[in-house]
Amino acid sequence: MNIVLAEDNDILRRSLSFFLESKGFVVKQFSDGKDALEAIKTNTFDLILTDINMPGVSGMEITQYVRQTIGSPIPIIIFTSSGVEQTELDCFDIGANEFIAKPVSPAVLLVRINKLLNKRS
Amino acid sequence: MQLTFESMNNKDFPIPHNELERLAALKRYNIIDTLPENAFDDATKLVSYICGVPIAHISFIDEDRQWFKSEIGIGLTEVPREISFCQYTIMDTKMLEIPDTHLNDTFKDDDNVTGGFKVRFYAGVPLTTPDGYNIGTLCAIDHVTKELNDDQRNALSIVAKHVVNQLELRTKNIELAKQKKIAERAVFAKDSFLANMSHEIRTPLNAIIGFTDLLAQTTMDNVQRDYIESVQVAGENLLIIINDILDLSKIESGNLTIDAQSFNLKKTLKHIYNLLKVKASKDIEVNLFLDADMPDVVIGDQGRLNQILVNLVGNSIKFTQEGEVTVSVKKVGETDDDYSLKFSVKDTGIGIQKDKLKTIFDRFTQAEESTTRTFGGTGLGLNIVKQLVELHKSEIHVKSEVNRGSEFFFVLTYKKAPPAVNAVKTVSKNSLGQLKILLCEDNILNQKLVKSVMKNFGFELDIADNGEAGIEFLSKNNYDLVLMDLQMPVKDGYQTTEYIRNEMNSTIPIIAMTAHSLVGEQERCFNVGMDAYVPKPFKQAALLGAIKTVMSKDPKPLQKRKLDLSFLDEMSCGDPDFKMEMITLFVEKIPNETAQLQDAFNHNDTETVMRVAHNMRSSLDIFMLHDLTNCLSVIEEEARLGQFTSETVNKIEILHCGIIEVIKTLKEL
Repeated sequence: MNIVLAEDNDILRRSLSFFLESKGFVVKQFSDGKDALEAIKTNTFDLILTDINMPGVSGMEITQYVRQTIGSPIPIIIFTSSGVEQTELDCFDIGANEFIAKPVSPAVLLVRINKLLNKRS
Repeated sequence: MQLTFESMNNKDFPIPHNELERLAALKRYNIIDTLPENAFDDATKLVSYICGVPIAHISFIDEDRQWFKSEIGIGLTEVPREISFCQYTIMDTKMLEIPDTHLNDTFKDDDNVTGGFKVRFYAGVPLTTPDGYNIGTLCAIDHVTKELNDDQRNALSIVAKHVVNQLELRTKNIELAKQKKIAERAVFAKDSFLANMSHEIRTPLNAIIGFTDLLAQTTMDNVQRDYIESVQVAGENLLIIINDILDLSKIESGNLTIDAQSFNLKKTLKHIYNLLKVKASKDIEVNLFLDADMPDVVIGDQGRLNQILVNLVGNSIKFTQEGEVTVSVKKVGETDDDYSLKFSVKDTGIGIQKDKLKTIFDRFTQAEESTTRTFGGTGLGLNIVKQLVELHKSEIHVKSEVNRGSEFFFVLTYKKAPPAVNAVKTVSKNSLGQLKILLCEDNILNQKLVKSVMKNFGFELDIADNGEAGIEFLSKNNYDLVLMDLQMPVKDGYQTTEYIRNEMNSTIPIIAMTAHSLVGEQERCFNVGMDAYVPKPFKQAALLGAIKTVMSKDPKPLQKRKLDLSFLDEMSCGDPDFKMEMITLFVEKIPNETAQLQDAFNHNDTETVMRVAHNMRSSLDIFMLHDLTNCLSVIEEEARLGQFTSETVNKIEILHCGIIEVIKTLKEL
């Protein structure tokens, strides 16, 4: 299973990607939203994991692009440290499948990823 | 400047005669290339409904393009100015209406008529600024011929006016927000100015009061004693004034909070009574009436109650020639959790005229113009009392009759104290024995003062001119205690304490001595690892008390932060190499980011502070440093609001110390 991981914090990104790779996923990591979006445009992935606040393009914009411009139903999980309820509502509104508040618990993340991937297959 | 049509017309489109001024007016609104806004979209919809057309827009025309703030049926954000219809509309102040473009000589061969948008009907109203410049248009467009009736034309003009009003409002709001920010900065600047001023004044005052105290302890004749006592009174009055001003600025900036500590109410009241009885002349009888079922111990702010009553009783004594000043406290209510107590201060003094009763609580106002000259005072006292009572969520009232006297009263609610109150352990001076003390202090007067006081106590004292020198002393000799000034050259008190705690791994008691009165400073001192805090000008008893307290404490083992790496363990799936890699990354990255944050804060760069704080939170989460993450949240939030406060200063300091500690612990792993 191929996962795109867009997160600008080095430590978190590398930890998450190490964790997911240990669980058998292939992870393509990006610290910049723009690069992540470019990769999504040109490659096929099974799931997108993205932070909201990033340099370049935000996680919201990535989600919007994937749903509206590409029109792909690929599962998208957004995580953010914003404690604002509206952010969560907005995420679902633009088509994200899951919203996880930071700090992201690896176990919870894994369960949600598996749930989304199983539903599709 | 009046430019002719020809001289400007080097491009092939019509240009208004006042083009330069028109462009300047447009620029003023800062509207071009902004995001969509509801108010404008609503207006566009209204145009489409009113005229029954599929295409409508609000646009602005700059040097070379027509930019759409809001549009229906166009799907573009801008078009070149030379192909727009609206370039003609802004040439006139009236509406341009073309019922059928095919019959119009100017437009019948236009690309947007023959192809493009297939414009058949066009109606455009110029958007005219209050000073008369046509900066854009409001348009209705259709693919079929059409003629508007008078009502529709009228409605279009009205909507156009509203759009311009909206623009004005928008600009004014932006301006207001800017001014608000400036005002908030000014308040912040005022607060730090006051705090700094008080520091500057307190340092020499400390020396004056301290040396006068010492001088008063020597033998002297009656005249000398009289002089010295006058100096003492003057010094203390000066201190009261400075404290008043500081208190006010703290209350104003919302930095003064009401403590909730258990204290003995009866003892406090008796103490105030004893203190003030002495100040009253022989012709005044000072009484203290306490309700029989009044509680002994309550939870609340002893210091502030003290301040309120001392102020009120002091006033009463000041304005009463003869008769009585009576303080009474009565229980007026009780619930399971708290007591309501009515405090009253009543006198038989000069009283206050009816028309002055409302203004006596205002700042710098006293009932009599001449009062200041006759009776002295800053005119701040009652204002502070009022605000302090209000901080207790209560109200102060006054009743008065001229030449009969006044009564001030208020009801405070105190939480009940748990029944068992531990007896305070007292340590006699003797039990301390001969202490060897190190003083870190740069001011020579203060050095001399502390030296004399320590000699009085029978302690031995070494003096270091700054923190660096203090560390030098500490590494060579054994001391029982360090007295630490905060502001020093080379290494200040905070840095020195950090060094002693983190690099020398020493648990030696450290007492902060400071003339700062910055809010949150005490907390900051404790955060870097100091054990006690004595404000300057210090009273000998207060300093001795602090020394006793820290010396009688069990020497606590150096409290090391317990790091919880379980989250990282989970992430690294038990791989020690990866875990180490992340730790190394943290150690390399985080101190730099902390420095970057500090630097951006110093330069008031809210953008960078917000960005760095936000990013750091994710890193700190992985190491489960919840307390520090919370600091970052506060910092980020304040940066987002564009306004730093003393709270930010505090959190940055806590973060700074916390990170040093964490990095040190991580390096030892």
